[in-house]
Amino acid sequence: MKGMERVAITTALGGRAALIRRIILATIMVLLITLPLWASEGVVMIVFLIMLYMAVGQMWNLLAGYAGLVSLGQQIFIGLGGYSLAIITEVYHLNFLLAILIGGVISGVFALVISQPIFKMKGIYFAIGTWVIAEALTLYFLNWSFVGYGVGFNIRTSYDLSTNYLYFLSLIVGLGSAVLVYIIMRTKGGLALMAMRDNELAAEVMGVELYKTKLAIFLVSAFVSGVTGGVLYLNISFIQPTAAFSIDWTVAAVVIVIIGGIGTMEGPIVGAVIYVVLKQYLYNFPGISMIILGVIAIAIILVAPKGIMGTLQAKFGWEIISARRSTKNIKQMVHPDCG
Amino acid sequence: MEVLLQLVINGILLGGLYAMIGLGMSLIFGIMGLINLAHGDLMIISTYMSMVLALHFSGNVFIALLITVLVMMVVGFFCQSVLINRVLDKGAEPPLLITFGLSIILQNVLLLIFGADAKSIPTKLAAQNAITTPWFSISAIYLINFVISILVILSLHFIIMKTYFGRAIRATSGDVVASELVGVNTKRVYAVTMALAMVTASIAGLLIGMTFTYTPTTGTQYLIFAFGVVVIGGMGSLVGTLLGGIILGLAQMLGSYFFGMAYQLFFGYVVLLVILTFRPEGLFARTK
Repeated sequence: MKGMERVAITTALGGRAALIRRIILATIMVLLITLPLWASEGVVMIVFLIMLYMAVGQMWNLLAGYAGLVSLGQQIFIGLGGYSLAIITEVYHLNFLLAILIGGVISGVFALVISQPIFKMKGIYFAIGTWVIAEALTLYFLNWSFVGYGVGFNIRTSYDLSTNYLYFLSLIVGLGSAVLVYIIMRTKGGLALMAMRDNELAAEVMGVELYKTKLAIFLVSAFVSGVTGGVLYLNISFIQPTAAFSIDWTVAAVVIVIIGGIGTMEGPIVGAVIYVVLKQYLYNFPGISMIILGVIAIAIILVAPKGIMGTLQAKFGWEIISARRSTKNIKQMVHPDCG
Repeated sequence: MEVLLQLVINGILLGGLYAMIGLGMSLIFGIMGLINLAHGDLMIISTYMSMVLALHFSGNVFIALLITVLVMMVVGFFCQSVLINRVLDKGAEPPLLITFGLSIILQNVLLLIFGADAKSIPTKLAAQNAITTPWFSISAIYLINFVISILVILSLHFIIMKTYFGRAIRATSGDVVASELVGVNTKRVYAVTMALAMVTASIAGLLIGMTFTYTPTTGTQYLIFAFGVVVIGGMGSLVGTLLGGIILGLAQMLGSYFFGMAYQLFFGYVVLLVILTFRPEGLFARTK
């Protein structure tokens, strides 16, 4: 609650708006936690998916929206998370929660290993480099006997999990990822990130340690994406290389964040709701929902590049969750003499 | 030893085709600094278009290609002038993401129309050898791919070096403001460049369709090949593009010789990643 209190004290709009904001957040929390009590199983499953896709979006947003690292390789970590779950439960017969955590760690370690070469690639090269690594992983897994080649695994541990259990897991992952981004952006490192995104050279001159900050963000994003991948595959309960390391995961993240609003915290939430609901609504026409989402995404880049939430914020100065501590602080950051 | 010789020949010939796949991307990157993430999908669209026209309407591959080239030129021109030009001056990410969105749409449109099954453009050439010796043989279709690729690369080189439009392109890629000052409509140059890139993509698309099978998602793979060619050869250099294609083709073939068929593509990607890491500006990049 300490963070929220700070929002309350320092908000530019005064106490009343902050109170409303807190009430909205609290209501949403209560609704989410009690959801299985009053909603149908179908609705619970949809919110389950929204939570997980929101986490996928948050992590891409953390990289692309805040750290300026446009990754097209988020599927690396989703796939590694899913495969860790499959192998640890199917081959070693260990607990699936442990497997999901280990999946996060493996993703983080893999991110650390590839960080050395991948951080030498800048901008567009970074984007394609991450994608090439994901494609190479697909091919490697297809030819790796330990992971069952292209046949993959049935993840049987998930067969006897209830919808509600899965739902609460997704709630932890989804809300956890949002809170994590919130915390990161409110630390010194978070400010450094935004400074870096806006002007790398200037930030470095001001003493921001680019490499360390980027690396930390990359590792956090890999860990959370890995965990998210684990929970996603707990639901899918069958894993196979071309799907696990498919660019489709990153496509989802990009579409969600672009539509919701890149570089905003509510963006991935709004984007994930639109993405999942549209996909479910057009479930029988999988191609059509992606075409519609693609068209919306392009239209948004052209007409309102800040996305739905970014545009609302710019128009009405209206933020539910703000990365900034206060307007006054930001002025101080920009002009140290004004303070 | 003979197997190795055969693979080296195949690698070089395949490299010619890869070079042409990368040609359009190289052109676009060299002139507007944009990586077109829809390049592979636009190419596969032209493959499907050639297939439909050749099999169901004209019955003639050349007429099919001609129509495809014209349609794709228009498509490229409008994609560039209506979508990409509007965000080119807004930093690196918006144009990249626009082409990514385009790629999503194109892939799903193809899936919707043609389904996920692999298709091919049947041709007698695919099973024939142009040259057969006791030590090696040269597949007719591979040879044709290579020869056509060289011709296309040379023609493009001629257009860029010798024509008025080529001068406008080079001026724009050198200095946008200065070329606008002397009366070059740079946005128009970009759109025509994209149309030109689509000509090479359409030809590459047809050749791919006659050489390999393809699905609506194959574009992704060729996008990475194209990117590989361009990165290895150095962004925006035409001769480098040919060498880049040959190196990628050889890397794949040698990878399959030393590590097994299954690792053919994998090895190509690894070589690409190594080059990206150590020489991101490309092996044959002109020094600035």
